[in-house]
Amino acid sequence: MNESHPRPLEEQITLLELVDRVLNKGVVLTGDITLSVADVDLVYVGLRVLLASAGTLDRMALESGNGSAP
Amino acid sequence: MIHIYAIAEGLDGLPEVEGIQGAPPERFRCNGFDLVVSEQGAEVEPTEQAVLAHARVVEALLPLAEALLPARFGVAYEDEAALEEAVQERAAKLSESLARVRGHVELGVRIIGEERPESEPPATGRAYLEARAAETRLGSELHESLAAHADAATRAQPPDGRVVLASAYLVDPNTIPSFLGAVEKLKEQHPRLTFAVTGPWPPYSFAGVDAQ
Repeated sequence: MNESHPRPLEEQITLLELVDRVLNKGVVLTGDITLSVADVDLVYVGLRVLLASAGTLDRMALESGNGSAP
Repeated sequence: MIHIYAIAEGLDGLPEVEGIQGAPPERFRCNGFDLVVSEQGAEVEPTEQAVLAHARVVEALLPLAEALLPARFGVAYEDEAALEEAVQERAAKLSESLARVRGHVELGVRIIGEERPESEPPATGRAYLEARAAETRLGSELHESLAAHADAATRAQPPDGRVVLASAYLVDPNTIPSFLGAVEKLKEQHPRLTFAVTGPWPPYSFAGVDAQ
């Protein structure tokens, strides 16, 4: 991702909603999810879909600060 | 490993989009369902590229299927036999879910509260709790008025930070204008809140076999 061109808020919200759907919603056939919560958090961090205005950023920053994220 | 994108009914062909790591989406018929899958060399890591590729395939399938259940990312099967067994075990519930989402799309709503200046924290713990309770009530009211314009609704619990409401609504595409009209009305009633409506999405939030 090109950090010199931050995504506009609308695009960030759409991306956040998309990632939330793909990773957290949708049908699970067996109940076995190969992704751990840490993996999922990593995607959010990697995507920088941290919606500052929605409080997600604060929570993620807090979690990283506690050492639960690399 | 077999990566699964979606479970469909009445699938009219496959979309011309690449799947994860460029793998072509394939159709796998099983128990009367059309599964859309791709063969991956190894377990798929949840990178931005992979997540977006998954979403792209699901999105492209939406107009091709009579009913579509997007699969959650990160569920993989060793081989076709393992996948078949999983589908057979859930066949009845999958049919129910497919019936629920047939002819519907999903709209996402996020309603965000006002920013509180850090220099003005709530005077007391009690004031804070009262403010939170009021926000929760407001979120429920907003959710209920929007749910009245949908055939099903779901809300993320509990809201955190300044998010007053994070929710999804299952709607007939023909009723999207009236749903958006309802959102506009709420916006006028609550000028201090920020509203974001996203979609129409494939019905991710209503695909779960346990979803209501």
